[in-house]
Amino acid sequence: MAVAGSSMEPALRDGDWLLVDPDAFRHRPPTAGDLVVVPDPRHRPRLIVKRVATIDATGGLVLLGDAPNASTDSRMWGPVPVSEVFGQPWFRYWPPRRIGRLR
Amino acid sequence: MNRILRALAPRRTVHAHCDIPCGVYDPQQARIEAESCYKIIAKYAESSDEVFRQRCLHVKEERAELTKHHIDVMWHDYFKPEHVEKFPDLHDVCWKASKQASQVKRTMDIAEAQKLLDLIDRIDEMWRETGGPSTTRMQQLQPVG
Repeated sequence: MAVAGSSMEPALRDGDWLLVDPDAFRHRPPTAGDLVVVPDPRHRPRLIVKRVATIDATGGLVLLGDAPNASTDSRMWGPVPVSEVFGQPWFRYWPPRRIGRLR
Repeated sequence: MNRILRALAPRRTVHAHCDIPCGVYDPQQARIEAESCYKIIAKYAESSDEVFRQRCLHVKEERAELTKHHIDVMWHDYFKPEHVEKFPDLHDVCWKASKQASQVKRTMDIAEAQKLLDLIDRIDEMWRETGGPSTTRMQQLQPVG
């Protein structure tokens, strides 16, 4: 998947190409610090990438952008259920000088 | 090389955007519309021209709706969780202001319009105390004397 936007800088930059594992959370739940791809709660066909900040009491993922001043996230639309998670970005294969595993 | 790149290029895009962040907020936008409501109600009371009074009713409803919209923009878009921590009654004030705008929409009671202005001024205070003037407005050049 190609990253568009700057809300995840410096970890992810606009134009990065990522591999996303759709089965990453089949055997373990997401935990704080994980990158996740979820449908945009306000416009579901659109996918967004954020980082899990905490898990709330009912198991919802509180998602935040790494760049809080340039991010619309759970501060705006609340926590996202785990069942919504599309996958976990785990590897960047472009640009060449930033190739590598993500965390 | 281009063909290889094209073959490797992702087919989907994942967004890391915020909403189009124009980032410009100012409660004066709500205040100006609310002042219009106030003045229209005053003029309505002074006039005996029925056509004019009908227009007052109509225009005031429009202005009250705009007031509500601008209050909601402050509430939904400008204020952040850290502002609520600083002002625990923030949600209550915005909610009351929004409701008061609806109230002004359906009445010709000038006291209700004054209540609306007072609530907007409280939002203005919180906007100022959270650094709104310097972070959300463009700095205007001062005329050189």
